[in-house]
Amino acid sequence: MMPLKKAQISALALFASLLSLPALAHDPVFGLGPHVLFKGGIEIAPEVHISKAGDDKGTELGMGLTYGLTGDWAAGIEIPYIDQSDASGSSSGQGDLTLFTKYRFWREDSPGLQESMTVAFKLKTESGDDEVSTGTTDSILGLAYGYEGRKWYRWTALRYRFNQEDDAGLRRGNKLLFDLVGGIRLKQTGYREPDTVWLLELNGESGQTAELNGAELSNTGGTQWFVSPGIFWTKRNFAVKAGVQIPIASNLNGIQQETDYRAKLVLEWHL
Amino acid sequence: MKKFITHYLAGALLLLLFANSTLADTSIYSIRVDGLACPYCAYGIEKKLNQIDGVKFMDMDLEKGIVTVEAKDTTLDDQQLKQLFQDAGFTYRSKQESVK
Repeated sequence: MMPLKKAQISALALFASLLSLPALAHDPVFGLGPHVLFKGGIEIAPEVHISKAGDDKGTELGMGLTYGLTGDWAAGIEIPYIDQSDASGSSSGQGDLTLFTKYRFWREDSPGLQESMTVAFKLKTESGDDEVSTGTTDSILGLAYGYEGRKWYRWTALRYRFNQEDDAGLRRGNKLLFDLVGGIRLKQTGYREPDTVWLLELNGESGQTAELNGAELSNTGGTQWFVSPGIFWTKRNFAVKAGVQIPIASNLNGIQQETDYRAKLVLEWHL
Repeated sequence: MKKFITHYLAGALLLLLFANSTLADTSIYSIRVDGLACPYCAYGIEKKLNQIDGVKFMDMDLEKGIVTVEAKDTTLDDQQLKQLFQDAGFTYRSKQESVK
């Protein structure tokens, strides 16, 4: 493995930030929601993430496939393709393949309203091309609550990412993610009509300092907060989700490139 | 005579088929379901109902929480509907059946 440069560590941190649990159905665009998939259902979800933090730029194209094991339990796989660049150059290739599962352990239904809670787990394997792989097997554990009515939506979620050490002795810091999301459907439409929900998310991220062979890297880790407007447009079994993360507060350790923006577009089909 | 009998039997067969199709029972089920908040999430209900032989049409009134199903020569019972909506991620409450 090539020796790590500062820019590479920075790029790793950038793309690690793009790792999230899959958003199913009426889940937030960036945050974690409680949705699963109907039993026997298949979800196909191509998506694109764009991120810019100073000189660090990245585009991730992903394809997610999810299967509904039961009405409350779904599992799937994501295959990303990553293109990234920083001050030292650019690289691209197949990213690390990830496996994920979500289980809805509580659901309370009433007329026109569903409240639920879900636990989610994601495993990022060490399987991508060397140029873009983190070189580690990492995992994310999440817990989400959702309130979904005919007009109003609200979600909250916590996620924790456990990062492992790669062959070069680099261990990115573990990360805690927090989401608070509101949504509104301004016009209540019928089952076969197009439906639009507007979203506003508050996403917080707090990362520990990375270590290289046991020594702390001072220019890593810290806290960032984002406000993220988004839209969720659907028609029967097809959905478009889009949103932009705008940084509103940042307390990063040492000298780091602060995030300028992140954007995400997801297409979804339920089959 | 042989020709007459053949024509008679063919006519009787056609009449029997016609009578069978027009006299078949078509039921309209009005099903109350809780948890129906968004149309996209409810697609699983459509998919599961359409997998049942005899289901000819379905629609949903999300405001009232009512799923309407038109079924021919098929009976939808409470246990079947409870499981179907559970698998789709919703809660079955009750049904009313009428004959078209």
